Formats: sequence, structure tokens, C-alpha cells
Amino acid sequence: MATKSGDTSHLYDGKTVRSAAPSRKKLAAKGSAGTDIPKDAIPQVEVPSFIESLLGGPVVPKMKFLPAEKMVQNLQLGTYGILIALGILTYIVTPAVGTIWFTLFGSLTAANILQLFIVIGAVGCGFWGTMARDARFLLGSYILFILSVMRFASSKVSLSQDLFGFADNDFLLTILVVVYAVLLVMYFELSNGVLRFSMLDTSMRTREVYVMNVKKIISKYHRSLVINPLIAGTLAMMVLSANTILPAIVRLFSEQMAQRMEESVELISVYGVALGTLFVFLVVGGLFALDLPTHLQSWREKRD
Amino acid sequence: MWSRKSAMLGSLAVAMYLLGLTLRNSQLVTIAVVIFVFLTWAALFGSHADVASSGRRAEEWSGEEGVALNSVTAMRKLSSARIFEDGEVSVTLRMQNHSGLGKILEVRDRVPEVMRIKSGANYILMELPPRRETFIEYTVECPLRGFYSLGPVAVRVQDPFGLFHKEKELHVYNDFLVFPKMEDLKETFVKSRVPKIFTGAVNIRQPGPGSEFYSLREYFDGDSFRSINWSAYARSGKLMVNERERDAVSDIILIVDSRAVSETGPVSRNALVYSTRAAASLAQYFLGRRDSVGLITYGDEVVSVDRDTGKKQLYVILTKLAGAMAKGNIPLQVVVNRILPHINKGSPIIVLSNLEDDPTIVNALRDFRARNFDVTVLSPSSLEFEFDAKRLDRTGYEVLKTERDVLISELRSLGVNIMDWEPDMLLSTALAGARGF
Repeated sequence: MATKSGDTSHLYDGKTVRSAAPSRKKLAAKGSAGTDIPKDAIPQVEVPSFIESLLGGPVVPKMKFLPAEKMVQNLQLGTYGILIALGILTYIVTPAVGTIWFTLFGSLTAANILQLFIVIGAVGCGFWGTMARDARFLLGSYILFILSVMRFASSKVSLSQDLFGFADNDFLLTILVVVYAVLLVMYFELSNGVLRFSMLDTSMRTREVYVMNVKKIISKYHRSLVINPLIAGTLAMMVLSANTILPAIVRLFSEQMAQRMEESVELISVYGVALGTLFVFLVVGGLFALDLPTHLQSWREKRD
Repeated sequence: MWSRKSAMLGSLAVAMYLLGLTLRNSQLVTIAVVIFVFLTWAALFGSHADVASSGRRAEEWSGEEGVALNSVTAMRKLSSARIFEDGEVSVTLRMQNHSGLGKILEVRDRVPEVMRIKSGANYILMELPPRRETFIEYTVECPLRGFYSLGPVAVRVQDPFGLFHKEKELHVYNDFLVFPKMEDLKETFVKSRVPKIFTGAVNIRQPGPGSEFYSLREYFDGDSFRSINWSAYARSGKLMVNERERDAVSDIILIVDSRAVSETGPVSRNALVYSTRAAASLAQYFLGRRDSVGLITYGDEVVSVDRDTGKKQLYVILTKLAGAMAKGNIPLQVVVNRILPHINKGSPIIVLSNLEDDPTIVNALRDFRARNFDVTVLSPSSLEFEFDAKRLDRTGYEVLKTERDVLISELRSLGVNIMDWEPDMLLSTALAGARGF
């Protein structure tokens, strides 16, 4: 009599199957006669998206970390500190006037509220991303910070709050903008450092990687965290002070020319800054084109 | 080399610069400037430059290097160049920094994928001071047979922010050989019901277990009382025992199927893995009895090892088995046609094959049997491997199993000693099953 199920074990009853081990009967089907392919038999194929294939990997890596150790906790604390300072500075240096929402709503109050929400959102996302070590929130925070600074500014640096009278002094205003920019870049670096060192810490504790002299490696990173922003800030300051530095140099040759340069609208506007920046870009591009980093390193090694 | 992070920051800086110009926003331009300065500083003064150098085998160490080479060098030493499956190799990697600058190095010694790091680490992040060297030690476990190569040594130097890095592969390679694991078969054969298990055996002039008389000798402790020759004792007054001439087979031919289909199943559990281990165990056993053993592997070509005896022959066979790759689809009939004229009539032939995807198997084995060869087939079942790995659904398994059983029955009807070798079965058990013990 035919059975409804696909159980074929009865076929082995009372038979001696010499070619088979005793387990054969056990293996003989007990399941249904369905021909569906078991789910676990289908291999998982992950096709990278277009952006992933361009970048050579996911934009936001998903990695589970072990609980943070002191090394990572210190970086997290540093990030929190930077984030608070950056939040305040962003709010100060990016007034709602000229933003997209100001253009959309036409109301300064609404634009102010929205701008404030964006800054708070950026800080909140940053806090959560740093605490949870979740790259998605950090990416969100970066985007919000950049979004908050995107405004039509008519070549003028204006402040939403000016408690200390920065707006009256161009030099102080430049310092404020440079500090803001340095803090933003520091935030990018530190929050990224939290993830990088979490990865390293996890790899070390899972014995995937062995690290010799951890303290020295970390101290080198800490040293760079202090030196690099200082240098970046100083150089940026010089670039932004092009309207002061250039006339000062020119004054050595021609007083009249220097006077004209100081009064030049182009040089004191954003285009003056852009000119200085372009100069930096050209120098940097030239350095890389000449492969100067490698030559410099070789020279340093030979010298020693 | 730019990392993804630096590339993204660079792109962001360019975008901000252009947006800053469009929106006449000096904050955006300032951020762009800071990012660019940040990148430039990291590029110029991060220790990302020259790691170019050479890698050499440890045997080539020549002591003094002489002039500083402005570089990093790597040398490697292995504890052994030949091991068996599941054996371990200790690796010592010597890294030297010849330059006057300290470097933070990321060193990864490339280990074949199938191997496991048992202790130590092959991936190290370290600060290597100027003109110093360090030794990295780790042990790898080698679970699968084959020819392997350790290396190259990938060295990466990057700046503290991970913005720029330079990678270099130091081409230092160490080759080593992993032989298939062997199972001790002695007990099984000694305890078998028939002392001379293969037909075609000939006596050789050597004392040992057998049936023919060889010589008399004095009794030693441990000799069986049954072997005492009482009449000789009566004559000489000393306890004398009979020595017998050892029964031995003349030639054993092992045929290993290494066609592509033999690797069906998981990497560590497939017919080829089982076949090579079985062939190695059988070769060891028969050569230990001073028999002559030959090996034929067939896949994309027929590779044969001529019959011979001794330890050297075992080494040759093990080397061939270690290098057996699952390739091609040469039918067994081709092998049979090629070897038939060259093997002694009656020689035992042991075929190790999963019996799949070869329509000539029945005819090929019939040819052997027709010439009175004693044929034993050990057939590791690829179906079981696939089923255990859940790559085969039950219905498919049942259908294929039935087909396989039919084939096995047909071969058995030809007088072939055949065993459907299931994954959990020991080789000795499978052999005993094939011979009907």
C-alpha cells in the first residue's frame, strides 16, 4: 500500500543490504516527499552595491566590538568633549540666514528653530554613534554638521550669537572660523579613531592580531592628535589671512600697490580665501605629483 | 597609497571648496583648507614611505648585512618541511628594520587558507625601532594534505591616522609538504580470519607469519609453545622452534580516483581526502610487510608510481598522494587499458573511488576480473558527504543512493570486493567489510 509520506525506510525492513552501514536505515527518508531545496543548502551570495564596488567595501562597515577598554574609552571621552565644543561653535558660526530652510520658509524664526534642531541632531547622533560605536550614526552626524554649514553667506562671516564681540575684530573672527573648522576635522578623526581602535582592540582580544608595544603605538597617535590640528590650524590661519599677508609682503616693494590690495574687494572676499586655498591645493598637488612623501622619507632614512 | 578614509576626506574637501565658492561661504572653504592641510601633513610626515625591501629564506642568512639598506627585511624559518595531516609547523619570522627611523609596521605572514593558527599570531602590529629586529613566532596546524607555501610577507606602514599607507609584499616563500594521514591497519589484518588475504601471493625467502616451513632455531622467551618442534627437542636436548616462511603478496596496485568529481563535498570531508588517506595507510601497511606497492592516480592525467619496496617508496607514494589534485574526468577504462599490460597476473588491485560520473566503471572492473585480478574497491560515498553537509535534499539523496546501490550490487556480482565507505567508518572497518570479514 502506498504511503502518503516520502518515508522509504520500510523498503529496508527485512532486507540485508550488504553495501550499507547499519545507519542506512536511519538515513532513509523520514520526511515528506517534497522536492524543495533546504534553505541552508542555498549559499548566501552577497553582491556588492555600485558604491561598495567603487569604494572596495561597504560605506558603513558593520562590525561587532567587544566592550570598550580604557584605550577606547579615553578616545570616546575626547570625542564627547570635542562634540560639545563643536556643537556650540557650529550654532554660533552658522546663523540661519542664508540656509536652504530660510529660503524655503522665508521665516527667520522657523529657520532658526530648524537650524538649531539640525545642530542638536548632529550632536545627538554623534554622541550616540560614539557611545554605541555605530558608524551609521556617526555618518549621520557628519552629514548633519555639513548640512548646517551649507548656507549662502555673501562672502561675510556672520554669527548667530556674538556674546564676546568677535564680529568687531576680523582677526578674532578668522580664529573662530579656523577653530570651528579644526574642531570639525578633529571630530571626524576622533570619532573615526574610536571605531579604528575598537576594531584593533577587538582584534587583539580575539587574538586575530598581536600588538607589540601597544602603549607606544597609542602614544604616537595621541601625539599626532595634538600636533596635526595645531599645524592644520596655523596653516589654515595663514591661508585665510591672505588679505593681510599678501599686502604686507607687497608693501616691501610698493606702498601704493599694498594700499590698493588692502582695499581690494576681491582679496577680502571669499574669493581671496579661495585664491589662497587654490594656491595650497596647487602646492599639495605638485608635492604628490613629484612623489615628495617618498623622497622625503628616503632622505630622512639616509640622513639617519 | 590613499586609504578610503583619506580619499573620502579629500573628496569632501574638494566638494566643500567648490560649494564654498558657489555659496560664497568662507566657512566651507576654511573647512576644505583645514582638511587639505591635515591630509598633506599626514602624507608628508607620516612614516608611510619606503618599506621596499627583500625577503629571504632563513637558510640564506649571511650574518652581517653591512650597509644599512633603508628598508625592512623579512626572513622565515620552519620547524619542518614535511609533516602529516593534523601535524603542526612552527614558524619563526625575523623582521629587521635597517633604517635609522622607527616604524609602525603591520605585518601579515600569508598562511594558506586551510591552515589554522594554533598558537602565536601571523598578523602583528608593532613598533620596530631603528636598526632593530624582532622575531615573530607562531604555530600552524595543517589539517589537509597538499603542497603548501607560506608567504609572501605583507608589510604595511601607515600614518597614525590611517590616512595613507604603503604596502609591500616581501617575497619570501617557504614550501612544505603535508602528507595524508595514515591509519594503522596491522591489527585488522593480523586478526583477519584468513592469514593470506589476497590471491596471487607468493612466498618470499624470509621468516615470518606463514604456512610453509623455513628453518629451525632456538627457543626464545615469548615464542609460542605451539611452534616448538618436539622431535628436534628430543634429538638435541634444546628447545627448538619452527620458523615459517612469510606469506607475502608480490605486487599491490593502488588506484586512486582524483577526478574533479572526487572532491564533491566539504573541503575536509570528501572522497578524495578519504581515498588518499586510505591509499597512504595501505601503502604503509604493505610496504611494512616488504611487499611491492605501485600507485596510480587519475584525474586530468594518469600519474603512476612504479612498483617498488621500502621506505623510499613510501615517501614517493606519500608525495604523489599529497599532490593529487581533483581535476579532469578520465574514465577508469583508460587507466585499465594503460596498466593491464604492465601488471602481474593475479596481483591484488585496490581501487579507491566514489564511483560517480564514470560510465566505464563496470566494464573496466570486468576487464580486471576477467584476467583474474583480485579487485577490491573502497568507495567513499560522496552522497553521504553531501547529505551530511546538508547540500543534498533527502529525496535527491534517496534517488542517488538507490542508483549507487544498484551499481555496487552489479560490481559485486562481478566478483569485486566492494565496500560503500561511509564517512564515520574507520578504514580498517571498511576494508574488513569489503573483504567480507
